[in-house]
Amino acid sequence: MNETPRTFYWIGLSIIGLVIALYILFPIFWLFLASFKTQSELAQLPISFWPESATLDAYKALFSPTHQKGQLLDWPRLIGNSFFVAISSTILVVFFGTLAGYAFARLHFPGRDLILGGLLVSRMFQGAALLLPTYRLMTTLGLQDSTIGLVLLYSAFGLPFATWIIASSLREIPRELEESAMMDGASRLQSMAMVVLPLATPALITAAMWHFVGAWSEFAFASILLESNENKTVTIGLASFVELFTLEFQFVGAAATIVALPIMLVFFFGQRYFTRGLLAGAVKG
Amino acid sequence: MQNDRLLAYFMILPVVIAVLAFVIGPTYNVGTLSLTKIVMGQERGFGTFSNFTALTADPVFWLVLKNTAIWILGGTLLCVLVGLGVGAFLSVDSRLTTGLRALILLPWVLPDVVTAMAWKWMLHGQVGIIGQTLETTGLTEETISFLGDPNLVMWTLVVVLIWRKMPLVALILCAAIRSVPDDQIEAARMDGATAFERFRFVVIPNIAFSLTAVTVISMIWITAEFALPWIMTGGGPANSSQIMATYIYQQSFEFFNWGIASAMSVINLVMLASIVALYLYINRRSWASEGSK
Repeated sequence: MNETPRTFYWIGLSIIGLVIALYILFPIFWLFLASFKTQSELAQLPISFWPESATLDAYKALFSPTHQKGQLLDWPRLIGNSFFVAISSTILVVFFGTLAGYAFARLHFPGRDLILGGLLVSRMFQGAALLLPTYRLMTTLGLQDSTIGLVLLYSAFGLPFATWIIASSLREIPRELEESAMMDGASRLQSMAMVVLPLATPALITAAMWHFVGAWSEFAFASILLESNENKTVTIGLASFVELFTLEFQFVGAAATIVALPIMLVFFFGQRYFTRGLLAGAVKG
Repeated sequence: MQNDRLLAYFMILPVVIAVLAFVIGPTYNVGTLSLTKIVMGQERGFGTFSNFTALTADPVFWLVLKNTAIWILGGTLLCVLVGLGVGAFLSVDSRLTTGLRALILLPWVLPDVVTAMAWKWMLHGQVGIIGQTLETTGLTEETISFLGDPNLVMWTLVVVLIWRKMPLVALILCAAIRSVPDDQIEAARMDGATAFERFRFVVIPNIAFSLTAVTVISMIWITAEFALPWIMTGGGPANSSQIMATYIYQQSFEFFNWGIASAMSVINLVMLASIVALYLYINRRSWASEGSK
């Protein structure tokens, strides 16, 4: 290839790449910028791109009780609730998903493939159609308006996918390793805990990350179940700005940044685990 | 061996119970509720189709069906087309595309409440940057209110949906394109095929399976998506962006019409079941091989 077409090729590639990068990043970046602007700046025309005098007032308002005008929710509390729900359900999902994943991958029992297939298919029936019956169920159980109820619900939603990811990775670990441990007198559970699980750690991290992201982000079920302000989660807090503020997008920007931050951190630091679960995630939806 | 079998059932028990209680149970419950006559929140007799007749008698129902068709069919089609284009670009070997492959998943992992707010801000009727840019560059005479115009709102939501759902489609198709054997492409090049012909007649047939699978999976994702349209428009203005998911939510928790809501939920579940059945049918070979392991 001579030099000129190669240069054109490179320029064309870079332009398309730049357009895609802009398309991916701009919506988030624009809302992030809004969080540093003042309300009057947000309402003025023509639009100012960079904040004229960057201010942290919106963040301060979300976090300091003195700024809360009775309209703003208690954000430290919301953040605590979201971490509680996401982390607790992640622990449950990884623990019980590992138990079940091991059974599906290693043990023989009648109905094994049918049950695993059934679990996965059941998770495709998701979304708004289950809102009403779930609300009725949780009310009957006395678990509405409770973060514990939410932990149980999210765990049930997340378990089939976690079980499946863990089972698929356990299948790739050679049986011989385990068998030799059992020959040496280890019980099945001992050999599972000491020999198999350390090798399956990447799959456990993948399952944990996908579940954490899903649980932290969930909105629909949290919004129908949580009623009192002290039980609400960050996604509910962010969504509540729809009714409360019209042009006060500095609060929306600050709140959205707070909601997005843990997810971004998990995403950027756990990139390789994410892509591991990527094709698997295609099934989960 | 007998012990192993018992141990296995014991190990899968929590997962099975959780799914029975929180997924299968509610699915069954909404089915029976839809066939129950409900008066003022009280259940008055099982075995009636009155909820379904009440639902179809609601003029909004037909609008909801039309909007849901745009949402699911339009959304899936655009998602796959844009995903194919972006995926083809990402499959090129270059440091730039390697970086982009990592970055592009960002919209997919962000909470949909954040996505909804970010786009709501860009599409704002008075000071939204998209409407303002179109006006100041002279492309439109006045600032368009994308979410306030009944004729535009549904397609605007589809555009936001593409932003959110397209990245994973692009990455899956990118992986498929990269696994197309090089010698086939090289052979076509030797025979004088243009870049477009190589794509159309060598790459596309090779990725046909991934393309079909990803289309059906996108349909499942899009059917299940609720928070994005709900937060951006709440089904408005005047029901012009009301889809099944938002209609179910509104009827259940704002109007407390549980009869109508459960009937619509059942229709939604039947629709999902057909798409899932299609997915299982397409994947029948890989299920069979999974089972034989």
